[in-house]
Amino acid sequence: MVKRLYKYLRGTYLGFLLVLLYSPIAVMIVLSFNESKTRSKWGGFSFKWYKELIFESPDIIEALKLTLAVAILATVISVILGTLGAIGIHAAKKGYAAALINLSYLPMTMPDIVTGVSLMLMFVFVNGFISLPRGFWTMLIAHITFDTPYVLFSVMPKLKQMNPNTYEAALDLGCKPLRALTKVIIPEIRPGIVTGGLLAFTMSLDDFVISFFTSEQNNLSMLVYAAAKRGVKPNIYALSTIMFIVILILLIIINKRSDLENIS
Amino acid sequence: MYEDTKLIELKSISKSFGDTEVLKNINVYIRRREFVTLLGPSGCGKTTMLRIIGGFETPDAGQVIFDGKDIQKVPPYRRRVNTVFQKYALFTHLNVYDNIAFGLKLKTPEELLPNVKKPSRKQVKEEIDRRIRRMLKLVKMEGYEKRSVDALSGGQQQRIAIARALVNEPEVLLLDEPLGALDLKLRKEMQLELKSMQQQLGITFIYVTHDQEEALTMSDTIVIMNGGRIQQIGDGKSIYDEPKNAFVANFIGDSNILPGVMHKDFEAEFAGHVFECVDEGFKENEPVDVLVRPEDIMLIGSDVGMLVGEVKSVLFKGVHYEMKVDTGDFVWKVHSTTMYPAGSRVGLSIVPSNIHIMRRMEAEGKIEA
Repeated sequence: MVKRLYKYLRGTYLGFLLVLLYSPIAVMIVLSFNESKTRSKWGGFSFKWYKELIFESPDIIEALKLTLAVAILATVISVILGTLGAIGIHAAKKGYAAALINLSYLPMTMPDIVTGVSLMLMFVFVNGFISLPRGFWTMLIAHITFDTPYVLFSVMPKLKQMNPNTYEAALDLGCKPLRALTKVIIPEIRPGIVTGGLLAFTMSLDDFVISFFTSEQNNLSMLVYAAAKRGVKPNIYALSTIMFIVILILLIIINKRSDLENIS
Repeated sequence: MYEDTKLIELKSISKSFGDTEVLKNINVYIRRREFVTLLGPSGCGKTTMLRIIGGFETPDAGQVIFDGKDIQKVPPYRRRVNTVFQKYALFTHLNVYDNIAFGLKLKTPEELLPNVKKPSRKQVKEEIDRRIRRMLKLVKMEGYEKRSVDALSGGQQQRIAIARALVNEPEVLLLDEPLGALDLKLRKEMQLELKSMQQQLGITFIYVTHDQEEALTMSDTIVIMNGGRIQQIGDGKSIYDEPKNAFVANFIGDSNILPGVMHKDFEAEFAGHVFECVDEGFKENEPVDVLVRPEDIMLIGSDVGMLVGEVKSVLFKGVHYEMKVDTGDFVWKVHSTTMYPAGSRVGLSIVPSNIHIMRRMEAEGKIEA
């Protein structure tokens, strides 16, 4: 009896939490399919706002292009920087490596607003010497700075798991150092690299604060924020729904991957 | 030994990591087709010595001569040696076949097929395949080509690691405690297999282990190391019968080692008794270490023994009993097939040829390799 009550309470509590967390998103998804423009009335199911979003909202499509371009480029570059950085730290002497790891942690734990403001100040300062208007390039640089640690910390554990003699085994079998890196080390740590890249892409895709400070061109989050001030049109619900689903899919992939790695 | 049979020679090699001296003035040579074991407790420098031969460490001083040439500056990927690493270091992103093929695919077609003029891609592929199949047969792993290396047991991974190294036809195979992770039964099987592979292929094996039994089973020559120095070099029997000092005697086999004094040639005093022995060439009344193996002590009646003592403990070891006998000055370890119960008084008898006199370690100073 007590056991059943306990089970019941546990289920209710979990359900309550999930409702609390996801009901706002559920409401938004439902409303994105609402024919009517007012929130208080259900005008029937329709893809109207999705159509409007794609065909009649050039500013949103512009922002989407910018967001994707920045996310893809920042991911590629931070994957290269983060992977090489992790290999370097792994090979470094203990004390030095610990210092580098802590330095790399800092940007991850720092509030976005601090990162954003400091990057903005730097770009304004640099703009005094060379022309670097706050736009695509500054946003890209900013995203690379906060993406790289995510790659680094996805790759480091893979390097630690690797047999310490793996690199030497490659040399022993006839690889020159660079070839040992490309033919053995990178394939061995590839799962970590891919996970890090997916994380970086997700981070980049939905970033608002840092982008807001470092670019005058709007990415998607910035556009939604600006629109909210003017009163939100349902096409923003449609946009947010799409973003939610894309990020959900990415997160599921990341989790599945780390599950697989834990098994093997 | 003829000069030209020396394949590898280490001359006055020293190496330190930070403040720790790992190797101190090492001099040793290794002959072609020899099975050499570097034996010693952990931290004695044996693995460092192997890594210097493989090219993964650079000595601070001294020379590494390979086939008459100094190879100090030759990087590992150009040395004609291959290594079987501790815990195998197989490439987990490749299957069994591709692990073994790894080294072959890095060779030029001309290296693989020296007798064929401008070998075609197909010929190269067939040659690689032929060599891999021969190796899989040698290590008894046929049929495992497509398996992931993660799915193999420790013993199977071990075989693949050996195949991956041997397929490159090195002149020397370096093995760093390769059987350490295997259980006792498998280890014994692999010891015999390794030895027969080495004889079959006729290449030099340099084998690192801390297991004295393993060293005795497989080696032509054992190099015993301690504290960064070579203690003794020789074949298993000569090291067992004629250890140079107390460390070697203790490390190889069971032993009773006790302090004594050499009165004159063929006469030594220890455990409060004067013994006749077969050693000579010591100074008059020189302090020495005396070795008597436990199986060389005969237990007889307490009225006729050279020494008399009381049995303190008895252990059954399968073939024999191991008894501790206290004679007052020293507690002797004795192996015998006859059991004397604890508390009984027995006499000990040792024949002169079973007493081995060693110079004191402190007095020995540097031991010439």
